[in-house]
Amino acid sequence: MEAITVSGLNKVYRTRIKEEGLGASFKALIRPVYKQVQAVRDISFTINKGEILAFIGPNGAGKSTTIKMLTGILHPTSGTISVLGLNPVKERQKLSYHIGTVFGQKSQLWFHLPPTDSFALLGAIYDIEKDKLKKRVDELSELFEIGDLLQTPVRKMSLGQRIRCEVAASLLHEPDILFLDEPTIGLDVVVKQSIRELIMRMNREQGTTIFLTSHDAGDVEHVCRRAIVIDHGQIILDQPVKKLKYDYLNRKIIAVRFEVPQRLEVPEGVKLEKSGEMAARLSVDTRRCSIDEVMRWLIAQGGVADITVEDPPMEEIIASIFSHKEEGAAG
Amino acid sequence: MKAIRKYGTVLKLSLQNAFVYRSNVIGGLLFYTLFIFVFFNLWRAIYQGGRVAGYSLTQMVWYLCITELVVFGCRSGVFGQMNEDVKSGSIAYQLNRPYHYVFYQFFTALGGMVFNLLVFGTMAIVLGMIMVGPIPGFRLQSLPFVLISGIMGMVLNFFILMALGLTAFRMEENFAFYLIYQKLVFMLGMFIPVEFLPGWLRDIARFLPFSYVAWAPARLAVAFSWELFIEVFPVQVLWAVIAFFIAMAMYRFGVSGIQAHGG
Repeated sequence: MEAITVSGLNKVYRTRIKEEGLGASFKALIRPVYKQVQAVRDISFTINKGEILAFIGPNGAGKSTTIKMLTGILHPTSGTISVLGLNPVKERQKLSYHIGTVFGQKSQLWFHLPPTDSFALLGAIYDIEKDKLKKRVDELSELFEIGDLLQTPVRKMSLGQRIRCEVAASLLHEPDILFLDEPTIGLDVVVKQSIRELIMRMNREQGTTIFLTSHDAGDVEHVCRRAIVIDHGQIILDQPVKKLKYDYLNRKIIAVRFEVPQRLEVPEGVKLEKSGEMAARLSVDTRRCSIDEVMRWLIAQGGVADITVEDPPMEEIIASIFSHKEEGAAG
Repeated sequence: MKAIRKYGTVLKLSLQNAFVYRSNVIGGLLFYTLFIFVFFNLWRAIYQGGRVAGYSLTQMVWYLCITELVVFGCRSGVFGQMNEDVKSGSIAYQLNRPYHYVFYQFFTALGGMVFNLLVFGTMAIVLGMIMVGPIPGFRLQSLPFVLISGIMGMVLNFFILMALGLTAFRMEENFAFYLIYQKLVFMLGMFIPVEFLPGWLRDIARFLPFSYVAWAPARLAVAFSWELFIEVFPVQVLWAVIAFFIAMAMYRFGVSGIQAHGG
């Protein structure tokens, strides 16, 4: 059964533009000049109930705009949206009982009060009966391991603790769909992973449909089964993460620093992107050479001072999708 | 019933929240005291005995204490809050919830107002008593009416500020509105009673909302009469209702064409 259906969705903004100089400022005051910006361009997709979808793309690709249209905050310029059979523009309030949202950079908890107070407020806002709310809070605090934090003012929490409380807060009313907009932004690796696991558990145990935007390839790789890639407001790819992973998320970047000068002769599947005497940057094709092998090889060189393994940035992944597509078209 | 629980909880929480800002309260009280003290000395210098426009020095000092109370009581920062919510995009969180944004903000601010009324109200009484002693002819029976006029002044102030704050939806820079409004309230009641104004200006002020924020409750406090109450209170209510509808319209107008900032 479908949770979200979108067809032919467009969003055009009008922004004011001004040329340089005082004269132009004056002119703009009398007769402002506008520029049309198409944030979302004719996108269509369907998401089934219980799916975990990654909606990815570089900054400014139109991810947040799309989420805002799906939740009824922004009105589309054209096209139709149906979320749980409701029209978000016309039935925003009704829909709000059935969806939850987490915007990684914005907080819904009261900063100076402990989460338990914010939870009580959200309980009242979503018309949850007191007994039911208590049960739900117990359940979520166990799942999210925030039992000890319930009485701590939010301002005293670390970002990771706060985000766990944020996600729990957005789940109090047992939403059918959870929209997560960059939930792991700014978190360290361990916390990122625990948030990802929580999201997966929510999906598995409660059947919550997850719509996740991110520009972190790791989020996608670890959490989602299907990914839609968007760039300049257009869908450029819609396929299972497995395939995406094989085709595009097949590279890792390893930065290594040595204590003694080294000359590296890289094994097959590894490319030396930058090298100095004491440090190197390697690009690993994980289809041909596993991270495990590369690590063993690096350690065997001796004198390793530091190693970091990273995903290539989303911009690079998008670029390789494009070049792949062009190759496909040419061939 | 559900709505009562919803907004009741909002009110309770914002009241709870107000208690957290301890340094804010202390700072506010100091500023309030300083303000009253400066103007107390100013008026004392102006008043070399006698009355000005029907106000004795005692009445004038109490008048100030009350107008300041109303304006300080509204320091819920609603204008800044609206502006911030719209400009930072955090309004996104508030729009897709099953409550009305305008009411939610009102009850949030109301918690702060109730708190401020208690704290600054106590301070107003203490300062007034120390500086000039009790208001001559003040009777305890009139206190509830002064209070409800004061609250109505705050409500009126709130909705005007909200309407001004919500202009952020369509305007990049709207701070000028706030400054102009603040000055109007200051000149038309908060700083000097309307009775001090020249006749023509007084007549104009009577048809504008600004003096009903601070002048009306303060005048009632220092020179209570039923005639005055019946004259000013309905006008306060009327302006508050008008401001409420303007704020609602601004909200609807803003949301329909929302250009959410911040991605």
